[in-house]
Amino acid sequence: MKRTQSIDLGVMRKAPKLFAFRPLALAVTAGTLIGCSDDTQEAQVYKSVEDCISGNPGQTEQCEIAYQQAEQEAIKSGPKYNNLAACVQDFGAHNCQSYPVQNNQSIFMPLMAGYMFGSMMNGGSRSAPLYTSYSRRSPAYGKWTSTDGNLFGSANSNKIRVNDKAFKPKPTVRRTMSRGGFGSTIAAKSSFGGRTSRSSWGG
Amino acid sequence: MFRSIIKQRPNWQISAAEYGFTFHTMHGEAYWDESAYYQFSLEQIERDIEAPTQELHQMCLQVVDKVIADQQLMQKFQIPEQHWDYIRNSWLAGDQSLYSRMDLVYGGAGHAKLYENNADTPTSLYETGFWQWLWLQDQVNAGKLNRRADQFNSLQEKIINRFAQLKLEHPAEILYFSCCKDTDEDRGTVQYLEDCATAAGIECKFIYVEDIGLSADDCFTDLDNLKISWMFKLYPWEFMLREEYSDVLESAAVSWIEPPWKAILSNKALLPMLWKMFPQHPNLLPSFFEDELKNSQLVNYVKKPIFAREGANISIHLAGKEVYSSPGPYGDEGYIYQAYSPLPAFGDNFTLIGSWLVNDQAAGISVREDKNKVTQDMSRYMPHIIL
Repeated sequence: MKRTQSIDLGVMRKAPKLFAFRPLALAVTAGTLIGCSDDTQEAQVYKSVEDCISGNPGQTEQCEIAYQQAEQEAIKSGPKYNNLAACVQDFGAHNCQSYPVQNNQSIFMPLMAGYMFGSMMNGGSRSAPLYTSYSRRSPAYGKWTSTDGNLFGSANSNKIRVNDKAFKPKPTVRRTMSRGGFGSTIAAKSSFGGRTSRSSWGG
Repeated sequence: MFRSIIKQRPNWQISAAEYGFTFHTMHGEAYWDESAYYQFSLEQIERDIEAPTQELHQMCLQVVDKVIADQQLMQKFQIPEQHWDYIRNSWLAGDQSLYSRMDLVYGGAGHAKLYENNADTPTSLYETGFWQWLWLQDQVNAGKLNRRADQFNSLQEKIINRFAQLKLEHPAEILYFSCCKDTDEDRGTVQYLEDCATAAGIECKFIYVEDIGLSADDCFTDLDNLKISWMFKLYPWEFMLREEYSDVLESAAVSWIEPPWKAILSNKALLPMLWKMFPQHPNLLPSFFEDELKNSQLVNYVKKPIFAREGANISIHLAGKEVYSSPGPYGDEGYIYQAYSPLPAFGDNFTLIGSWLVNDQAAGISVREDKNKVTQDMSRYMPHIIL
């Protein structure tokens, strides 16, 4: 036989899938998904190292390490904005801080409002940064939210339910300086012959 | 090899909608045409197409190996000088390729001749790998075609297997798929490849070429400002190497599909180089650079821009007279000259064979038909069988 032996036609069908499996707002639904998933665990949220120590007497060192880890993760994976206004819009006034980068420029990131702290089976601990928003227009208003925008319920609560994934380090979020540096050739070639729509840039 | 009329599948347009084949009709004209099909013998496929395709591919790779080591040739191939190292390193590092399509002149007898090698951004992949496969299955099940009818088309199977191989070098990495905005055909092709990669267990994301970002630390970023480290782009290297972000290609260190060395493999300058390195090879047409034309003794030839897409800016010269020319925006980078070898005619149709490779394995064919002597992007796609 010179042809593909078999093709799973169910996988190849496109139309119904579009509606069934594409969540529009992943960040918002994730909170719900976590709540009803089986492998969730309760994580304690602390607003400071002192807060952590008072909740975990005798674990001063773990609390400090967890805090530092969370801070580092926040710098690496936290939301980054090119201007203060954009950060304030998502996280509220007096909740954003500037960090200098190259060429006398700055980026803006929300302040870490707390960190979740969980123990592991081997006796160690792990942590992840949390933010909250004071902007009424933000979906994270009054809630705990993670570096990737998942919402974890009211920021008044010091306990949240999370799954294992919440503790895993997130990919580093970059600060994008520009877009559109690829694709300029087609703008020049497309205008040829006044054809407004075209079929392919492949061949 | 012959052309047969066949009844179209009833309601195939509904089936096309169901499977997301959105570009079967373009600019009000049929692109997918199942009112007829081409029939090949197994010998024609294996001896005349499959074997020469693999051999031609190996010859093309030898050209790449020679060109990357030679500054004069890099110039002839119109590779911008600041990217010579980038292209060379990609070849020397053995960056992996996914697929390509060679256009062959073949009418059922004699040697297939290489027209050109679409090794960087070949399209009509979905139509070949899936849609004509489904057509055969439907027509056999409907009793319209012989149960023994086969097809030279293991494209989907081979692409999925190839992605599974590539994944070994990129465990836990996200593969980004990319094409330009405003083209259903390219978007469909890329979606199909994404489906194949997903079937191979790869996590995929899509971003338009125009939306790719550049970060402060010289990474390419997606719309969530995450670094892009592995990317399939249905966008030609010859464009990318001349655009704003080409300066940071090296530092962005993306693993590209197709890899940068495909800038040489997909280049029309490949054709005169092949003829130089493998003179009189039965599957090659005599081809020459501009400065060799005088001594070439070519009387009837086709003039092709070094960079061009979809049959644009091509002219046919017979006995010194231009008898045909297609319009287009290309040609600034110079031309190559190829001996005139007209497409075979089946009725009043001119027929072109696209022969696919997945990495270095021949993987199937596509048949395109045109009323015109030069196949353009609106030529019709026809299914085929082996019997």
